[in-house]
Amino acid sequence: MEHETLFPLLCNTASGDKNAFAKLYQITSPQLYAVALKMLKKPDLADEATQDAFVKIWHNAGHYQRAKGTVLTWMVSIVRYRALDLMRYHKVRNEVDLEAEAIPDKPDNAQRFSAEQQKLEECMDELDQSQRQAIQLAYVNGLSHQEVVHHLSSPLGTIKSWIRRGLQSLKRCLSL
Amino acid sequence: MNYLIEERYNALAAEYVIGTLRGKARIRFQKLMMQYQAIHDATCLWEQYLEGLNHSVAPVTPPPKVWAEIQRRLGHADAPQAVPDQPAKPSRNPWQWTALTGLAAAVIVALFLIVPQKTAELPVSQVAIVSDNDNQPLWIVEVSRESIKVRVTDALAPLPDTDYELWMVPANDAAPISLGLLPESGSLLAAAPDFLFSDNIKALAVSKEPPGGSPTGSPSEVLYIAPLFKV
Repeated sequence: MEHETLFPLLCNTASGDKNAFAKLYQITSPQLYAVALKMLKKPDLADEATQDAFVKIWHNAGHYQRAKGTVLTWMVSIVRYRALDLMRYHKVRNEVDLEAEAIPDKPDNAQRFSAEQQKLEECMDELDQSQRQAIQLAYVNGLSHQEVVHHLSSPLGTIKSWIRRGLQSLKRCLSL
Repeated sequence: MNYLIEERYNALAAEYVIGTLRGKARIRFQKLMMQYQAIHDATCLWEQYLEGLNHSVAPVTPPPKVWAEIQRRLGHADAPQAVPDQPAKPSRNPWQWTALTGLAAAVIVALFLIVPQKTAELPVSQVAIVSDNDNQPLWIVEVSRESIKVRVTDALAPLPDTDYELWMVPANDAAPISLGLLPESGSLLAAAPDFLFSDNIKALAVSKEPPGGSPTGSPSEVLYIAPLFKV
């Protein structure tokens, strides 16, 4: 999807093509919105983050650099950072119901994704469960260190070191 | 603190990307990224590394007002593309669309409430299972030549001041067509509208609505999408 579809749409968006932008929205907004909703929990805040992200995407389409990642990665990063800003601005306190929210060891639909995706999964699998869980709670659910402390019932220092070491191991594994 | 030690800025970049770098530290890091290309590059690399974690998040279609608001803010609101799914039909004003579908919705909601006399036992030809984001089935939809039967599972927790509305999402990306309000307990039997038998159906969708159903004729907040399967 990425190379054939999103990149040309983004290029055309950069030159002011509203149809291309509409198509880009149509294809990517469910993914971006889901990411925002997962982090922010509240639909009205997810609406706001998604709106802000697409306004920014329209204005900044020409700044995208292919060498720095896929179009989708670029777009998802924009909405994630906006969600983090909104959390701070609205002082969102993040709660995750761990019972209801069984964190999947692997995405259910893993087979649909690329070699990079599989590599990431393998590398995530190699982490200790606590490291993996802490990273997922922070990244996917948008939890702060303190909120991860609350959810995993371990001291702050431990949580920080799980995340830090988990990320180090992940990088080592991913760059092999 | 010397941020230019690779190991150090790399660790900060990773925490910036996963979102645990907060407050002033986050803003400080953003400045560093603007100053030092290597720090910016390290951050982009982490974005690429971790983006795959988002694939465990199932896509959710944003409510239509999100697109409308984007268009308004960009000053595109009167452009023909305001309905993102209609770029090929510049002659049609999106407001007309809303009015038309609103009218259709009103008619169909009314249809849905009339339980036909001879609904009986024609074989089921299509089914859809509407599940929540934890894959718990909430409604089971069975369509036969003449009727549409919806059963509610006990996983559905009805909410006060909320109705759920069922929509048909056309494959040609036209506006969704309302199939009426969904029951919140027991089951419902209604006449099946003809358009349920076209090949033009992408999926069914369920929206969250104020009591009585969508006030605009478009889904207010799409909660779930379910494919319709022939059986």
